[in-house]
Amino acid sequence: MSILLVGEIFSILLNTPTYVLVIEFILTASVLCMIFVRSGPRDNSGRKRKLTKEEEEEAIKNYTPEDLIEELGYELSSKTVTGRVGKHITIDGKKCLNVATHNYLGLLEDQTILEKAMVSLKKYGVGSCGPRGFYGTLDVHLDLEDKLAKFMGAEEAVVYSYGFSTMASAIPAYSKRNDVIFADEKVNFAIQKGLQASRSTVYFYKHNNMADLERLLLEKIPLHKKNPKHRRFLVAEGIYMNTGEMCPLPELVAIRKKYQLRLFLDEGISFGTIGKTGRGLTELLNVDPLEIDLICGSLEWAVPSVGGFCVGSHFIIEHQRLSGLGYCFSASLPPLLTQAAITALDTFEEHPEMFSELVEVSKKVHKELASLPKFKLSGDKLSPVKHLFLEDQQKTVEEKILILEQIVEKCLSNSLAIVDAKYLLDKEQANPEPSLRITVNRKLTDDDVKNCVNVLKNVSNSIC
Amino acid sequence: MSMIAGGHGEANPNKTYLSAKGIWITYTLVVVSVHILLLAVPFLSISFAWSITNILHNLAQVYFLHTIKGHPWISTENSSDIRQTHWEQIDGGEQFTATRKFLTAFPIVLFLLTCLYTRNDIDHFIVNFVALVVVLLPKLPYFHGVRVFGINKY
Repeated sequence: MSILLVGEIFSILLNTPTYVLVIEFILTASVLCMIFVRSGPRDNSGRKRKLTKEEEEEAIKNYTPEDLIEELGYELSSKTVTGRVGKHITIDGKKCLNVATHNYLGLLEDQTILEKAMVSLKKYGVGSCGPRGFYGTLDVHLDLEDKLAKFMGAEEAVVYSYGFSTMASAIPAYSKRNDVIFADEKVNFAIQKGLQASRSTVYFYKHNNMADLERLLLEKIPLHKKNPKHRRFLVAEGIYMNTGEMCPLPELVAIRKKYQLRLFLDEGISFGTIGKTGRGLTELLNVDPLEIDLICGSLEWAVPSVGGFCVGSHFIIEHQRLSGLGYCFSASLPPLLTQAAITALDTFEEHPEMFSELVEVSKKVHKELASLPKFKLSGDKLSPVKHLFLEDQQKTVEEKILILEQIVEKCLSNSLAIVDAKYLLDKEQANPEPSLRITVNRKLTDDDVKNCVNVLKNVSNSIC
Repeated sequence: MSMIAGGHGEANPNKTYLSAKGIWITYTLVVVSVHILLLAVPFLSISFAWSITNILHNLAQVYFLHTIKGHPWISTENSSDIRQTHWEQIDGGEQFTATRKFLTAFPIVLFLLTCLYTRNDIDHFIVNFVALVVVLLPKLPYFHGVRVFGINKY
């Protein structure tokens, strides 16, 4: 039997061309190699063995774990603020005029909002005790969402419990790996974190430079055409926190249409400040809100509460209720703060003259600040946020930061509360130029503005 | 990989399940049973049954090991597994492990047996050899993570 088999194989091999035999021989040899050549430490008889004590010690010695926490590299200075932060602020016991905090409409000192919030506090208690999807939804949350949707003229709204996490959650809820995002290089830190968390490919265009955006679109879109599943997003801010400039919304909308992008707009500052009735940039520039896929806003600045919101079509908003991480995994907005936001929206509707008053003050402040000799003013004249950059171009960034810190300290001693914009320099996208960030409050009188500018002028003259 | 109560806690079992106990025997048995089924088809000669077994096996390997990417489990870690084929995920990308050697040697042995049973017939040899090259090339360490000519890039 076995002789027959060997004879059979022999006759097969005899009738085979040589190159087939060669290939078969090589393949057999490679299988034998795989079986007999082994890796890892062996003892003398070729069996697998464990590492010796010395080898173990050596391996452990060569291992250096990464630091659990990075070195911070700088120290935070602290000041004590007492009392309510309104038009005036008490810092370390000294009453100062406040142009540092984002309280554009001065509603933080509004008595009706406070009273309504107190009533809500007595009714619901302090916290909501759970995320929205897990026993944290109260009637006030639904009311606020309804009101916001109606106010912004959108189908639906979703409320987040923290302003920062609104945009930082909304972007990664839609944009995923393999998607492409085009964003302005000066977008605020929350948006940058959102872009990072989305794991998409992000391209930054020059600040408010539409020509550069189009160049980037023409250059980069073909690179992604090979992947038919990719989606393209365009991210911009209504008024930029880091510069105070306004985005050219009509151009962005035109580009969105031309290149088939999904446009996300962060109206954090512009909501409740510009436009005839405070509806933001879309109202001011007469753009149909339906042209913008997602509008985000903050309830922490013009509205004296906490949190943020997104408005858009039913599908867009519903998607966030399971995919917006900041919405899903964070306790809902405390009911008293929700009530405060609702009352503020009511105030918006009852007193639309607030917005024109704010714009008037913003223009006035803009005019006065532009006259400062040592500074270069940045920001739209309608914007309630303005930046003062140092005129001196010779100095390094560190030197400028030091000078600005000195100016801030000196202003404080002159009863003017002002801040230099703080950035995590190593974490920012395009390192922002050091600046003083001035915020406008509707309640500022002409004298206040004059006083503020005078103090700034004197202090800057004495330091620079 | 051993089975433990409450699950194995592996974020991506693709990395490890092929090194579980009994996988080599199971794998072989599946191929053998397919081959027996083919032998049982009346009008198929032995040569054709072997060639078809070989080609089916290699097609299955190309599809399951070298074409589809990612894994059916929700990733809890920010890993790049989603862009890797199953072959690239095995043992976390380590080369020349026992599992990898088995999966490489198997099609070669199958090919050699097929050659023997087709009596080294040239037509059968060419078809089977092409099928073998297609599964062996992507297994080479040199081609780890490489998408030749952009094939299967997305």
